[in-house]
Parts: sequence; C-alpha cells; structure tokens
Amino acid sequence: MFMLAGIVVLHITTVILLLVATIDNAWWVTGTASTDLWGRWELTSSDWHYYNLQNYPQDYLQSVQGTVVLACVFTILALFVFLAQLFTLPKGQRFIFTGILQLIACLCIMTAASVYTAKFHTNDDTKGGYGHSYILAWISFVLTLLLTVTYLILRKSE
Amino acid sequence: MSGVISLTSSAGASPERSQAITIYTGWERHALVGSDVRLSCSFFSWRWISDDVTFSWTYRPDGSRDSISIFHYTGGEAYVDNKGPFRDRLEFVGNPGRRDGSILIKNLDFSDNGTFTCDAKNPPDIVGRPSSVRLLVFEKLPIQAGVITGAIIGVVLGLLVLIVVIYYLMRFLVARRVFSLNVSKHGKKKKEGSQQRQGPAPAADPSKVKAAASEKKKQESRKDKK
Repeated sequence: MFMLAGIVVLHITTVILLLVATIDNAWWVTGTASTDLWGRWELTSSDWHYYNLQNYPQDYLQSVQGTVVLACVFTILALFVFLAQLFTLPKGQRFIFTGILQLIACLCIMTAASVYTAKFHTNDDTKGGYGHSYILAWISFVLTLLLTVTYLILRKSE
Repeated sequence: MSGVISLTSSAGASPERSQAITIYTGWERHALVGSDVRLSCSFFSWRWISDDVTFSWTYRPDGSRDSISIFHYTGGEAYVDNKGPFRDRLEFVGNPGRRDGSILIKNLDFSDNGTFTCDAKNPPDIVGRPSSVRLLVFEKLPIQAGVITGAIIGVVLGLLVLIVVIYYLMRFLVARRVFSLNVSKHGKKKKEGSQQRQGPAPAADPSKVKAAASEKKKQESRKDKK
C-alpha cells in the first residue's frame, strides 16, 4: 500500500521535474542571461527581455527540443498506463507496458541531455554555467531509470 | 484593411471621392543563390479595375537608404529595369486585370538582398500604403524553426501508435484463429474471452514474444487459481 503510494508520488514528481526542465528556459545561465531551449532571457538595465535563439546549430537544438518533449509525453503516458494496469493486470504480473514506456522516456531524456552537453556551450565555460533546468534534466534521467527498473521488476499483488 | 473598413462609413457621401487601396505582398522571401524568386503583389480596392491601374516596384539594398525604381506598369504596358542591377533579370508575371502585379527575378545573387516595395494605384483609389517584402538570399536554405522537432515527435509517437495497434491486431487475429501460431500439446482449452495457444512462440519480434509470454503467464496464473 505504502509502496504503491510511494511509486505514484515518485512518478508524479518525475513528471513535474521533466516539465520544468522542458519548459523553463534555464539550461545555461550567465550573470545576465538565462537561455535554452526555446528562447533567451537577457537582463538589460534591470529589465528582462526575451529573444530568439541565434547562432545555434539548428539541427542539434531541434533534436534536443524534440526528445525532451517526447520524454515528458512518455512519462505522462506511463503514469496513466500504470494506473490503468493497476486495475486490469492479473495478479503476479509485471507492469511491462508501463516499464517500456518509462524506458523510452528515460532514453529520450538521456539523449536530450547528452546532446546538449556535447554540442552546446562547449567554448564559453568561463562566462556562465548550467542552470537548474539542465540539472533537473539529469535528475529526471536518474528517476526515470529507477522507475523503469521498478516497473519491470514489480509484480502485482492483492 | 482597417483603413478600408473605416472609410466605408463615409462612402455614402460622394461616389467620386477616392477610397483607400490596400496592398499586399509577402513579408519575407527566402531563396537560394542562382534560383528564381517570384515577388507577389496584389491589392484590394472597392472599385472595378480601371484602365489606368499602375503597379510600381522599388528596390532598396540592405544597408542603403536609397531606393531605385525597377518596374512600372501603366497604360497597359509593363516597363522593366534595363539599366539597373536587375537588367535582363526581371520579368513581369502578373495579371493586372486580376489585381496581380507580381514580378519574377531570375538568377539571384547575394547582392540582391534587400527590401522590395510594391505600390499599386487604381484611379481614383490612390490613397494607400505601399507594402514591402524582404528578400533573403541564402547559399543553403536554413532549417525552419521546429521542423526537426516536430518530425522527431511525430515519428516516434506515430511508431508507438502503430506498434500498439499491430499488437492488439495480432492478438485479435490469433484469437479468431485466422493465424495459428503453434498447435498446443494440451489441446484446445475453453476460456472466457480471448485465448492463445500454448507452446513455443516464434521469436519473430519482441512484442509478439512479450505478448505470448504475458498470455502464458495469465493462463498459468489462472490455472494456479484453480
């Protein structure tokens, strides 16, 4: 009972972290700017202004955008499938479908974070650092991996 | 467009008064070096097309403040640039009778980057704001924002839907015995709902293997319950 509640809470937390990592433009933060994946916030004389991303390799940027959105979608789908399988799965069965969806989400967020690390901001490491969205992306990777293993091992009881 | 709407309220005053004319061009045109580009220009006017309708195009290069005139259509005749940067490259492809004053520029070069302004007049409707289109010439067309993102998301979700549909279709077809997987050693078993024959499932693709495995487990667990 508690384990079930704990897993659901962990899954919902993962969904929230993934959504923040996707939506908040804070993968790279400098003293006066907060940028990626969708736009750039720049602080000019105590006002924040929003700009489009320029001079980024478009194919890598769009692939990070696509995979990070897919990670969110698959994690949310896995949550609903888990709740459905709680009622429909026969006793003693593993939550395979949920585990597969969560595994795809884990692979997607891993791909997104890896491509971002490898291809963006490789030259200007003195001017800024990784922001909270980037950190949350990697934390979500760990949590989705944990959830995948949980769903593929857990058996339904009672 | 709002100029036209605001003036219709005063249209009843005198039919000979000129009304506003609204001119439409694109906002930006992207093209490759060496290719041709069609700059479209059309207008909206409450009156019929008069015989004195005129179109004129002017060009302002990027970074310059001066415009030069490159095309003029009046009195039924089209006059194209024969001295300026577009000589022998400009062609009139519009149809003034259909309010179309488009021009075609051939064999683009990087020096053609700039703003093209179209001005149309349909006497007596001469009050209008000329409309501009910006031409950007690229060596290689840049990827538009969101194309790859959308493609990745669409393909993966489409594959997921496809796999789920195929999985349920295969289960449905096997239950109806359209396909027979393997003959069971224990003979046919009567159960409510769908069944699947026991025995070694062919390792064709992992979804089928998992389906067979989960079906086997379900049948075993049902047997255990008994």
